Amino acid sequence: MADYLLQVEDLTVKFGGLTAVNRFNIAVQRGTIHALIGPNGAGKSTTFNCISRFYQPTTGRILLDGVDVTNMPASRMAGLGVARTFQNLELFGELTVFENVMIGAHVHAGKTWGDALSACPASVVDHVERLLERTGLSAYRNACARNLDFGHQKLLELARALAIRPRLLLLDEPAAGLRNREIAALDALLTDLCNREGITILLVEHVMQLVMAISHKVTVLNFGTKIAEGTPEEVRNDSSVIEAYLGQEMINA
Amino acid sequence: MSDKAAAMLSRSEASPPARWTARSNVSPARIGLLALTTAVLIFLPFVVTGYVLYIANLLLVFVVLCLGLHLVIGETGQFALAHAAFYGIGIYTSGLAGNAFGWPFPMSMLLAGLIAGAVGVVIGAVALCMRDIYLALATFAFGEALQWVFLNWDKVTGGPNGLRISPARLGTLEILSDKQAYPVVAITTLLMLLLTILISRSRLGRSFRAVRESEVAAMAMGIPVRRAKVTAFGLSAFYAGVAGSMFATFSTYIHPDSLGFQTTILVLTMVVVGGLGSIAGAVGGAVVFGLISEFLRQTPSYQEIIYGLILIVFMMYAPRGLFAFIHDKAGRVFRG
Repeated sequence: MADYLLQVEDLTVKFGGLTAVNRFNIAVQRGTIHALIGPNGAGKSTTFNCISRFYQPTTGRILLDGVDVTNMPASRMAGLGVARTFQNLELFGELTVFENVMIGAHVHAGKTWGDALSACPASVVDHVERLLERTGLSAYRNACARNLDFGHQKLLELARALAIRPRLLLLDEPAAGLRNREIAALDALLTDLCNREGITILLVEHVMQLVMAISHKVTVLNFGTKIAEGTPEEVRNDSSVIEAYLGQEMINA
Repeated sequence: MSDKAAAMLSRSEASPPARWTARSNVSPARIGLLALTTAVLIFLPFVVTGYVLYIANLLLVFVVLCLGLHLVIGETGQFALAHAAFYGIGIYTSGLAGNAFGWPFPMSMLLAGLIAGAVGVVIGAVALCMRDIYLALATFAFGEALQWVFLNWDKVTGGPNGLRISPARLGTLEILSDKQAYPVVAITTLLMLLLTILISRSRLGRSFRAVRESEVAAMAMGIPVRRAKVTAFGLSAFYAGVAGSMFATFSTYIHPDSLGFQTTILVLTMVVVGGLGSIAGAVGGAVVFGLISEFLRQTPSYQEIIYGLILIVFMMYAPRGLFAFIHDKAGRVFRG
């Protein structure tokens, strides 16, 4: 029996009369990279926002390591080891790169009023410094996040999410808008996070170059329903997927 | 690919953690500024007397008011406009504790801060469900309502006749002059300034700024956004309460007229024009604009107009605030 870190069961999300996601199921195996793909408006981001608890599903259950988190407030998820990034960057723009990542480490800085007012434990600061180093942002540590170029801003969001020390990393289009060289680096970094540190990654992505290279499993959504699931190879060759979504792109590729 | 990843990893493992840089925003310039402020506060009573010390006391009350508003507006980005109401709660609490029970002033000062803070938490819990202009209006309404209470609750506040405040005391010591009040006011100001710096540099301050910059991202980082806002609002009310109590140590009389929206706006301009989001800006704004409005008292009929003009000039030429403006200019001079 497979060991699932995240299970989404019968997830349905309705916005008024519109059903964005319909009885959707996904199970993410521990220690794997799982991609969620589909054409625009397929319900990927909606699903993603339900898992990170920013949206409340109409019906369905979300289990994290077997624990029902369907009614958990979004701000509790980081403490449970779930980190996310945002499709349209949500950095703390006026703050420095260092401070952005420090805020990511918020849940590790203690809980009491004394902790709240005292300087951060050195171990947390060291971890933040290592993350900056690892994402190549050390040189910009005192720069204002708003002033970084787009690629670095994307990396900063990732570094900030990693400061949570997540078990489950949710990435909303991490490669969107990146150059090829940057995608290759991201590819290496994500593979490394998964292989070396055992972080489970669920990513929503349009950039097939990345999805096909790093994913262990791919789930395809169309019009709010799952139309295919399997290894990148299987999905690549699935006729309904080619028809519904990958068609042109894969034929050209 | 895996080579690249390995290279990334090995690089991170090879270099030692640069611990010292982590606290690098304790810059010598900032420490110098703090030391200078402390020195000025210590030596002031030896060089000036009488009226000037009264002005100094008053300015320091504004400094503490500004520090409080800085926490909620500058750090947390919540436009709450009820500061004068909490200031009033502080003055009345402190005055009444002294008048009725003869409490020593450190106790009544703490009580003033705590009561204002507690009211702040209650009001904040309701008002901070709203944001932006709605939050501003809700807190404005609360401020107006409270001024009305000050004006009409005759038995407690003396209503429109105002309230005589008996001298602050500690044991047999009575504070009867501005000179006697000054050390109390100055030390309290320094303590509040240090507390603000502590908060700003701590995890709590970071969570405030996270909320200001992006509520959704703050939530994703595990920050309970509502609670952070209410905490900031409660703290700012605590500051205003303490400022009220400071005012009560050197004043003999309080009238509700001075506890209205105009005072809130005065403090708001100090914080904004001083430099929104910076502690030095809040302190500088309080001192500079406190002095300007005091000087303008000499020309009562033009006071409002001149004050307005000065504000406009500042907004045009130093839109990022007084502190940032001086910082830039000074930097340019030093660089040559």
